[in-house]
Order: sequence, then C-alpha cells, then structure tokens
Amino acid sequence: MTDIVNIRDTVTIDEAAHEIYKQLTEGSNLLEAPFKTMKDVFMFATCLGVKLGIKRQLTIKKLTIFRWAQFDSQTDIPMLKAIAIADTDDVSVLLRRNDILTIAEEYANAGIYELRASLLEEYGQPLWNLVSIVSQGIN
Amino acid sequence: MKFERIILENFRQYYVQERLDFAKDNQRRVTVIHGVNGAGKTSLFLAINWCLYGEGVDNVGELISKEAIKQASPGDTVTMSVELSFLHDGERYLAKRTRRGTRMLDGSVQINSSDEFIMMRILWDGQAQSIKNPIGTINAILPSNIRSYYLFDGEKIDDFAKPEAAKEVKEAIYLVFKLETLDRARRHLETAASDYRKELKTSTTGELLNLLDEDEKARGELGKKENRKVEITAEIQAARRKINDIDQRLREIQNAKFLQQQRDRVEQDLKQRRSELEDTQNLIRDISTTSYYTIVQPAIERALSLLEEKRERGEIPSNIRRQFVQDLVAQMQCICGRPFTAGSPEHQRLLRILDNALPGSLEDDVLEITATLRAFNERILRQRSELTILMKRRAELVDLIKDLDAVSDDIGRQLKDSQFEEVSRLELQRENFLTDIDRYNIETGELTRDIEGLKEKIAQLEKRIAQARKNEKREKLLSIKFDLAQKAADAIKDMYQTYADDMRLRIEGKTKEIFKMLIWKDSHFRDVCISRDFELEVIDRYGRPARPELSAGERQVLSLSFITAMSRISEEEAPLVMDTPFGRLSSQPRNNVTRYLPELADQLVLLVTDEELRDQARANLESRIGYEYILEFDPKTSCTTIVEVRR
Repeated sequence: MTDIVNIRDTVTIDEAAHEIYKQLTEGSNLLEAPFKTMKDVFMFATCLGVKLGIKRQLTIKKLTIFRWAQFDSQTDIPMLKAIAIADTDDVSVLLRRNDILTIAEEYANAGIYELRASLLEEYGQPLWNLVSIVSQGIN
Repeated sequence: MKFERIILENFRQYYVQERLDFAKDNQRRVTVIHGVNGAGKTSLFLAINWCLYGEGVDNVGELISKEAIKQASPGDTVTMSVELSFLHDGERYLAKRTRRGTRMLDGSVQINSSDEFIMMRILWDGQAQSIKNPIGTINAILPSNIRSYYLFDGEKIDDFAKPEAAKEVKEAIYLVFKLETLDRARRHLETAASDYRKELKTSTTGELLNLLDEDEKARGELGKKENRKVEITAEIQAARRKINDIDQRLREIQNAKFLQQQRDRVEQDLKQRRSELEDTQNLIRDISTTSYYTIVQPAIERALSLLEEKRERGEIPSNIRRQFVQDLVAQMQCICGRPFTAGSPEHQRLLRILDNALPGSLEDDVLEITATLRAFNERILRQRSELTILMKRRAELVDLIKDLDAVSDDIGRQLKDSQFEEVSRLELQRENFLTDIDRYNIETGELTRDIEGLKEKIAQLEKRIAQARKNEKREKLLSIKFDLAQKAADAIKDMYQTYADDMRLRIEGKTKEIFKMLIWKDSHFRDVCISRDFELEVIDRYGRPARPELSAGERQVLSLSFITAMSRISEEEAPLVMDTPFGRLSSQPRNNVTRYLPELADQLVLLVTDEELRDQARANLESRIGYEYILEFDPKTSCTTIVEVRR
C-alpha cells in the first residue's frame, strides 16, 4: 500500500526551466504567451516529452510550481496515469502517486525545451505554433 | 601564604612519617633547617614544590622512599605523601598529594596511574571543607609560574644578575605583577580589532548608498514615464474627440455625408469583427493549450491495451468484487448455497481469483481510468472538430477585417481627394489625428514596457536595499565592536606601559635599597638600575656599569635584592624558601644578608649546610628564629630524621 504520509503533493521543475514557464504564461498577449497557467505548460511539456520519448531527471535545484490539487481530475490525472502505465508497463503504478509524478516531471523536464523550441524559437507567433503542434498530433 | 606545617611520608629519604613546623610569628618568622650535603635539604625543598604543584621533581630519580619499598612485600601498596598546611588571607588550608605504587617481585615499584591531590579549607569551627578545584585554588594563591621566585634554589639564585638575564628579569616582573594578564588582554583585543577591521573592509562598499541612489533615480524615471503615459492617454482621448468632431462635421456637410455614413457602418462592423476575432482567438487558445492529450494518443492506446490485457487475464475482475470472494471463502459456501470443503476444486478456484485479483483501491482506479481513457478518443475528435471550425472562422474574420479596412481606407482617400476644400481639409486633419493616435499608441506601448521594467527594477532594488540595510546594521555593529576593541587595546597598552614602567621603577628603587643594605661594598656601588629593556645593572662609583665585574657572591646578593624587592613591592604574602642560600657568600656579605633578610620576607625558611650559618651570621638570625631543625641522615638506613633543636 502507498504510505499516505509520504505521498508527494507538490509538482516540481528544474529551476533552470522556470524562465520558459514564465515566458509562456506571463503577459496579456495571448498570441505571445498562450498558456493561462504553469500547470497547462507542465501538462503540455510532459506530453511532448512522451511523444518524443525523451525524459530527463531533475537536477538538485528544483522549484515547486503548483500542487497536485491543481490537476483536473477528469483530464490531467487520467492522462498522467496513462502515461505512467505506458511508461512502466505496470498497472500497479496507479497505486504510487509519487512514481506517477516523477515520471511526468521527467518527461516534462525534457519536453519543456522542445516546447520552447517549437513555440518560441520557430517562425510565427507562439499560439499559432501551438495550434500547429496540436493539429499535427490530431492528424 | 604562610606555611604552617609539613608532614612527609615515605618521600625520598624521609621514611614513614616526618613532621616539621614552620615559624610564622611576626617576630620569629625564620625556620632554619640544617643539613649536611645529602641529608635531605633539597628533598624537603622538592617536597614543598611537589605537594603544591606536582612539579619540580623531574630528573631527581625515584620519589618513593627506597626503604619503604624495601620493607614492603611483593604486591603490597607503598604510599608516599606530602601534607602541607598553610594560612592564606585569614583562612587555613590543608594540601596533600599522594602517590601510590605496587611493590614488584624484582624490588621495583609500579606507580599507580596518577597522583591524588586534595585540598581542604578549615572552617572557623574546625570542620574541614573539601575544595573542588584544588589546582585552581593553589594557583590562585601562589601561581605555579611565579613560585620559583618564592621557593628558590640557592644554587640558581644569581640567575637574575647574569649578563644575559634580561629575559628572566622581564619575565619575573611580568609574572609576579600580572603584567602578562594585561598584555594578553591587549593582544586579544588587538587581534579582535584587527579581525573586525578586516571584516569591515570586506563588507563596507557603500552599497546601500549606491542602491538608494539607484532606487531614487529609478523612481524618478518611473514617475516621469507614468506622467507621460497619463499625458498620452489624455492626448489620445483628445485626438479621438477631435476625430468624432470631424466625423460629425463630415456627416453635416452634404458632399461628405454619404461617405461618412458609409464609414460609420464600416467602422461599426470592423469593431464587431475585431471583437469576434478576439473571442475566437481566446477559444482557440483555450482549446489548444488544454489539448495536450491529442499529441500522446499512442500512449493512451498503450495504457488502454495494458489495462485490456489485465482484464482478459481476469486480473481486473469483471463484476466480481474481492470482498464478495473473500466472504465466500470465509463461509466455505458456494453462491448457490452449497457448502464446500478446504482444498476442494471450488475452494481452490476462489483462492486463485483472490491471488490474481488486484487490491480494492487499484481495482477501482483501473476501472475508472479505463473508462476515462476510452472517452479521450471521443474528446480528441470533438476538440479537433472545434479547433478546425474556430481556425476557419478566424481566417474568415481576418479576411473580413482586411476587406473592411480596405473599404475604410478607400472612403478616407475619397474624402481627402474631395474637390471641396473643407472636406479635404477635415479628412486630412482626421488622418493626422489618427496618425497621432498611432504614434501615441506606440509610445504608450514603449512606456508600458519601460514602466514594467522599472517596476521590476525597483522591486529588485527594494530587496537589495533591505539586504544592504541588514548589512549596514551589521557594519555599524562591527564598527562599534572594532572601535571598542581598538580603544580598549590602546587603553590597556597605555595602562600597561605606565604600570610596567611604574613597577619597574619601584622594583628598581627597592632593589637598590636592599642591595645597598646587603652589599658590603656599599660605597663602591653607587646605583642599581633596571633598564627599559629589563637589564638589571649595577653602577659603580665611576658611573660605569659594573655587573660584568661582579663576583659570584655579589651577583647572588644582587639577585636576592631583586627577588626580595619584588616580594615587597608585590605585597604578596608569601614565604621565602631558600635552599642553600649562602653557599657562595663569604662571611661579610653573609652577615649582612642574615641581618636584613628576615625583614624582607613574611616568612623565611632557610635550608642551610652546617658551614653556611655560623658565628655572626647565626647570631644575626638568632632573635628571629622560631623553629630550628637538624636533618639527621642515618648512613645505615639511608633515611633522614627531622630533629627539632630545642631552644
């Protein structure tokens, strides 16, 4: 059984990646900073990491950017669980929230740089670059 | 400190117990102990040192009485001790140091690990009170490092008068007058001041002042930019009012009325389309930023496939709850009510289900996530459809806005090119106002960017200023500490120098006075000086330094004068214990010394050979002797007995 006392509640990122999270969320121009929350950036970065099959362990300098409760129970959490099952080939990972989080954080830690490259470093405004990624995923 | 009594037990040649009382009256303050060479004078001298300090007995061989060792049987414990009672500051003390050893088969003795030292204070009612820190107490009464100036060996008495003795003289003055303590305090404070200075140097950078300056500038700049922004907003509003006025005027002019009304409609339409475009873009943003699952469809499929495998293997129970199976096993009864026995096929089947089943919480989770993930496919399709529609609508809106902008431009151009001057002029003015508004908008953007930057800079500066303020407080404190330490060190240095000079001069005066008293050639020696370098010097009648020419006896008298001068000036009540003090003195100086020495010490203990104290010298001391002893050495046993001379 999972030890309730040790269940992690915080979602962390590498301190070095924090600037990208801020760049994608801060400001009033939705075309330049399309994401509303850091949680949304994290989810997208995680999925991009999964899509490209790249993970990166967090360094010692970590930063908590939000809490587990901010994940949407109908979309975010099932998605993270699916990623954890696919990553471990083990259904019992569902009992280990810490593992689910760590897997997501590691994918996000690699995916965030891909997200920056695709949104901020590609030609075009970040929102339309994001739409392009989503559309490619769909198609 | 005045010695009262000493009891020696098995200490060197003092076998079993020997006792000796010290003279301590003001009148009869001299104790004379006679002994031929090897009788035990030095042993007695050592016994006092050993008892009080546990020191001064190096390189003198075995301390435990050889006779006591000889008399003991192998394995027996041999005890050696020295007990000294003394008076100090109106209190009476007992000090006893004991050494124990075990007699070995070969006649040697194995010493126990450490000596025992106890000290008692005798209270007014005769009760003895144990002193918890005897070493500290004895050092407070007569410090170990100055003891050699009170308990001194006659053989070394001329040490202070040797040409190379400046260091010893200085050290003696330092120690006896506790100058060392002052010097140590000065050194400690100077080190502290130096440390504080170094710390101040590294931390004082005027950072706070620079930061406050920077903050002031940034705030001034921010104020200017904000004021300019307000001005620009007012300018934009004024320009818009002017445009409205122009539009109104154009509506009134017959030749421009139609075009202006057309423009009104186009601009209304543009406003609506732009608003719709913004809403559409917001929806696109909302969908695209939360459609992350569209890019990980393979992972969703993989998870679903694993969950499906579990279900197919029966690990995810299909409608069979774990608790239900557990209940059947507990009751040993089938669903149909038929009982079964342990080990029966039915029983084994149920146990297998339980073994393969997932824990309850996981089971719920698996069922829930499977259902949710299956719904994701539908959600993906829906999102795709919505996004496609929205992107299409956005493209339409962008095109519409472009068209409307073109129409508006065309209307403006027509009005500007109007053959009616007023219309043309008004349209030109309108265009200028629009240009102004664009310019103002650009400037507003720049100002907004600058204001945000300045606000961020000020926020950072505030943090740094707060830190610098903390540092400044620390600097102030450091500065105070530095100042205090340096001033205290300087004050001690001045005090030290004054005190040291004063002591030196006082000792010099007293040494001269005593030397003149003790020396027999008083007319030959004119002066005694202690230089600033602590050189003890004698000046002869020709005004020249005479120390190199002093005889051994004269050097001894000079040293003795110095030591007794220190004793007098320090006002320490301490006994003067002298081992063979007159060995090098001829009769004349010996007579002088014995005449005056009792006046120069609170208590005088003289350990003398039979040759040292005779005739006039003896007669000089006679009235001051309180106790007199002879150390009788028995060549048969090599033991010494202390025999009091009855007077």
